[in-house]
Amino acid sequence: MTEEIMRVEGLIKHFFTKQGTVRAVDKVSFSIFKGETLGLVGESGSGKTTVAHTLIGIYEPTGGKAYFKDQSLEKDYSGRSKNLKKEIRIVFQDPGSSLNPRWSIKQILELPLKVHGTPVNRDQMKRITELLNMVELPPEEYLYKYPTTIGGGEKQMVAIARALATDPSFIALDEPTSALDVSIQAKIINLLIRLQKKFDLTYLFITHDLSLMRNMANRVAIMYLGKISEVAPTVDFFQKPLHPYTKMLLSSIPVISDDEEDLKPKKVISRGEIPSPVNIPPGCSFHLRCPEKMAVCSKIDPEMVEIEEGHTVRCHLYADG
Amino acid sequence: MHTKSPLLEIKDLSVSFKVFEGDLKVLNGVNLTINEGEKVGLVGETGCGKTTTIKSVLRVLPSPPARITGGEIFYRGRDILKLKKREIPSIRRGEISAIFQDPLTSLNPVFTIGYQLQEIIKHSLRQQGIEEVSKKELKSRAASLLKETGMPDPERILKSYPIQLSGGMRQRVCISEALRVTVKLLLADEPTTNLDVTIQDQILRRLDELVEKRGTSILFITHSLGVVRHLTHRVYIMYAGNIVETAHTKELFSNPLHPYTRGLLKTVPKLTGEGVSEGIQGRIPNYLNPPEGCRFHPRCGDKMEICINKKPPLFNQGENQMVACFLYGR
Ligand SMILES: Nc1ncnc2c1ncn2[C@@H]1O[C@H](COP(=O)(O)OP(=O)(O)OP(=O)(O)O)[C@@H](O)[C@H]1O
Ligand SMILES: Nc1ncnc2c1ncn2[C@@H]1O[C@H](COP(=O)(O)OP(=O)(O)OP(=O)(O)O)[C@@H](O)[C@H]1O
Ligand code: SF4
Ligand SMILES: [Mg+2]
Ligand SMILES: [Mg+2]
Repeated sequence: MTEEIMRVEGLIKHFFTKQGTVRAVDKVSFSIFKGETLGLVGESGSGKTTVAHTLIGIYEPTGGKAYFKDQSLEKDYSGRSKNLKKEIRIVFQDPGSSLNPRWSIKQILELPLKVHGTPVNRDQMKRITELLNMVELPPEEYLYKYPTTIGGGEKQMVAIARALATDPSFIALDEPTSALDVSIQAKIINLLIRLQKKFDLTYLFITHDLSLMRNMANRVAIMYLGKISEVAPTVDFFQKPLHPYTKMLLSSIPVISDDEEDLKPKKVISRGEIPSPVNIPPGCSFHLRCPEKMAVCSKIDPEMVEIEEGHTVRCHLYADG
Repeated sequence: MHTKSPLLEIKDLSVSFKVFEGDLKVLNGVNLTINEGEKVGLVGETGCGKTTTIKSVLRVLPSPPARITGGEIFYRGRDILKLKKREIPSIRRGEISAIFQDPLTSLNPVFTIGYQLQEIIKHSLRQQGIEEVSKKELKSRAASLLKETGMPDPERILKSYPIQLSGGMRQRVCISEALRVTVKLLLADEPTTNLDVTIQDQILRRLDELVEKRGTSILFITHSLGVVRHLTHRVYIMYAGNIVETAHTKELFSNPLHPYTRGLLKTVPKLTGEGVSEGIQGRIPNYLNPPEGCRFHPRCGDKMEICINKKPPLFNQGENQMVACFLYGR
């Protein structure tokens, strides 16, 4: 599992609005290895969706570099090769609005097949049936249904089938289950894990549910205000969190048993103003909320340092490595 | 902690939706009470009828297709279902406030956030008999509501359109709308699902303050059992249009009784990292022809002969727990 499938170097995505420049993603670097699940967690509005959207080509990066198996991701969707579009797919944050309500499920699944050239009609039908079977929706029952008449979990299954349609090797999953109850979530997550094994898929998995992350991701990356503040193998991340924001995050997880309560770091009360991505404070962008801040923190933005193999953190507390 | 007088009482509420194929019999006699100053959780599978329940309280169910086929909803002793059409807006934008599930659909895409918040504030002030407010005053009130939810730079947000905000930001706009002073009952439909846990924690503490300081009551709908455990005094568990169990929050987690509640608790992913369970087998019934008897029986590992034919009523179990299941009474 050490073949690097995606490499992101100093990726920048800024939005230029009347209210100023939104530095949604500000020099982000990470790698994703073939067959793994990289979890991406962080503050609401920290730029997770923007990272995913830039990688799949909804946005053109403002700066920096990203590669998928040595192919550059510098162009947006319209400028990408067919092969690249086929390889990198996404399941959106909101299952409701990402499926066209006027199209039947058959039509929804047909579109990527047409674009990516599955030739004859009969082959197309065969493939659609196959896709629905993959996500465990009986084709006879679902082919001609419309998104409005099926439940949220089923919609997300269709969205997953649509992502799989082009036989991709990389899928960005943007909070695929946050709108669903735990039982349906469990079904979808198990399905995703099975599909990953079967097709050797690589996932970028975005969620706010850290308990779910614990059970799904191989490695976790934490984002805060457009930057990555810590990356670690999942087990280390939960056992040896380093960054003060990570500790605050872990200590705020609402859990359901005392066993789990014991695994959380001591409660760090979350308070303080969250700075704006239009007006990022100097120094470490977390210093306004950080319980451990030092004089240097409000002046100099810390660099990423590696503390143990594969465990990196961007915080002055660890400046000497 | 809270007084015992009921603020909202839902009694035997039944609601169906008329669709092309027939009637979807969704709510099947829902009973739910919220006392003054109480934080109540409502949990249940996707499609079990949680949103339909609060929409009935707010009288915003689209009708057709929705039809209330039975039951009463008392708010401070008055049956909301008997209110005249013109009396409805006054409860909806006055004492009872709601945070709807999908922030994108409850915000209008063509107006700025600032405009939408100010309209709501104006309305709420009018209810208190205040007609004249300066533009500046409105603006600063809107900004301070946003600040209360920990929203970064309110000035930018007020001038933005919904599409320019992240999912969690939209949600916070809706939350700030609900934090107005006049609110007595807050119906919150998944208000924190798109937020990271530190912000969620800040907002839950803010809601706690509301309850403490203003005596607001909250009905909190969520899929996060962790949030329920932290925030609420009491929980209702809903399955396929029925309340199947209710208990004090602590009891529910230490001693879940209904087979559905037990299955649900087992399915929650744990920090201890045992992997993700397969979920409760089967799926929620089709509301065109819901199962007779206990609506959970086709999925239940404990089902008995009686479960197939007869609908279990809520049986008392101890002082603070009720469960609709024949394992606990006949
Ligand atoms: N199209 C856009 N125009 C202007 N600003 C935008 C746009 N899309 C996102 N932003 C801004 O970029 C920042 C990052 O947003 P993004 O949606 O990536 O956050 P996120 O981490 O996915 O948050 P959440 O967890 O709430 O979904 C936010 O400040 C947001 O307001
Ligand atoms: N306008 C409508 N027309 C037809 N059926 C509807 C309508 N609104 C709701 N329903 C049906 O009523 C059932 C309950 O829906 P409701 O939105 O109350 O569920 P919920 O418990 O809030 O689910 P979720 O957790 O997904 O939000 C669903 O099966 C849905 O299909
Ligand atoms: S009433 Fe019967 S079918 Fe329903 S939950 Fe109890 S044991 Fe299961
Ligand atoms: Mg997002
Ligand atoms: Mg709902």
